[in-house]
Amino acid sequence: MTTTDPTPAGGLLVGGTRFEEVLGRLVGMSERDYYNPYRLFVWPDALDEDGWWMTPELMVEHGTAAGAELTEEQLRRLSKWESINFYSLNVHGIRELLTEIVARIHTDAFRVPSEYFHHIIGEENEHMWFFATFCHRYGGKVYPQRSFGFGTPAIPEADNFLVFARLLIFEELVDVFNQRMGDDERLHPTIRQVNKVHHQDESRHIAFGRQIVEILHADLRARLSVAQLGELETYLKRYLRQSVDVLVDPAVYRDAGLPDPYGLRRRVLADPAYPAYVRRVLRRSTSFLVNAGILGDDRIVP
Amino acid sequence: MTTQSPPGFHLVLDYLRAKRPDLPVIDPELDLIENRILDSLGFIDFLYLLEESTGTEITLDSVSAEDFRTLNRIKARFFGA
Ligand SMILES: [Fe+2]
Ligand SMILES: [Fe+2]
Repeated sequence: MTTTDPTPAGGLLVGGTRFEEVLGRLVGMSERDYYNPYRLFVWPDALDEDGWWMTPELMVEHGTAAGAELTEEQLRRLSKWESINFYSLNVHGIRELLTEIVARIHTDAFRVPSEYFHHIIGEENEHMWFFATFCHRYGGKVYPQRSFGFGTPAIPEADNFLVFARLLIFEELVDVFNQRMGDDERLHPTIRQVNKVHHQDESRHIAFGRQIVEILHADLRARLSVAQLGELETYLKRYLRQSVDVLVDPAVYRDAGLPDPYGLRRRVLADPAYPAYVRRVLRRSTSFLVNAGILGDDRIVP
Repeated sequence: MTTQSPPGFHLVLDYLRAKRPDLPVIDPELDLIENRILDSLGFIDFLYLLEESTGTEITLDSVSAEDFRTLNRIKARFFGA
């Protein structure tokens, strides 16, 4: 776990600013929209095994040669396990998010957003619960975590920025799926509900994430060298790419009963249609990061 | 060393050499993490390569970064050699 750099946010995340106004509004919305997730959801004993579990156009195999070789029946079965993997990635992403926010709440540097951190922590605990519940009920498991936290740029001043940038990228990517799947009539109402409810909460978290990431990066621009800023950009681009690559998982292919799961993963990643998929699901993140001057362009290379 | 390597281990060597073509030889005791031959981004590809080479699924709950620190440790932990 990264420790908080005591110098940066201190002078930046101050009261009486637009940041504080936004925080006040988000706290008000969280209080107003508070709900009890443990009673809200309808969990049928089983969902239709032969139905679509995921929006087919959002599946990583969509448009690839490997995907075109699968029958619709195989694709539907794959959509089940791909969706369980997607929710499992949410569970692990939230574990990281909670660890990082808890490490910062009520520290000096994060005095101003601490009130809102309470809402994020509470809401994310509940999101983790409903995603994990979905995985266990309908998949019998949460897929294990596959990514490891070593090798981040050795620029201590950038620790806070990188943490919140990673969390924002994670939340924006998930939201692209939630937003679409929450309204996709081909999906079971419980699947739609899980996605819709998450999308409603995340619109607040993303608004917060964009604010704090911009503020922390503006501070770094004044403090870091051009080479160091470039190192951050390279790292974020690789992080963006990897956050999509983890959707292509041999364990998912194995559970869907497809042969040669590792070979299938390689084929999907190498398919000419795949980079367009990566661009499409990351577009919201990359346009924000480019507009904020954090990335110089939106090219995401392998 | 390659002559006594366990089956599948050459795939690991090939992968790491391809990542760092500037290194003519990767010393079996070289710190792969410290020297950024392995880092968290790209680690997943390495994990799947290891799984495929050993025929065993690897969950991160059962391993730590130390298991990947050097070629010798990788060999001992995942190839039982
Ligand atoms: Fe969430
Ligand atoms: Fe969130």
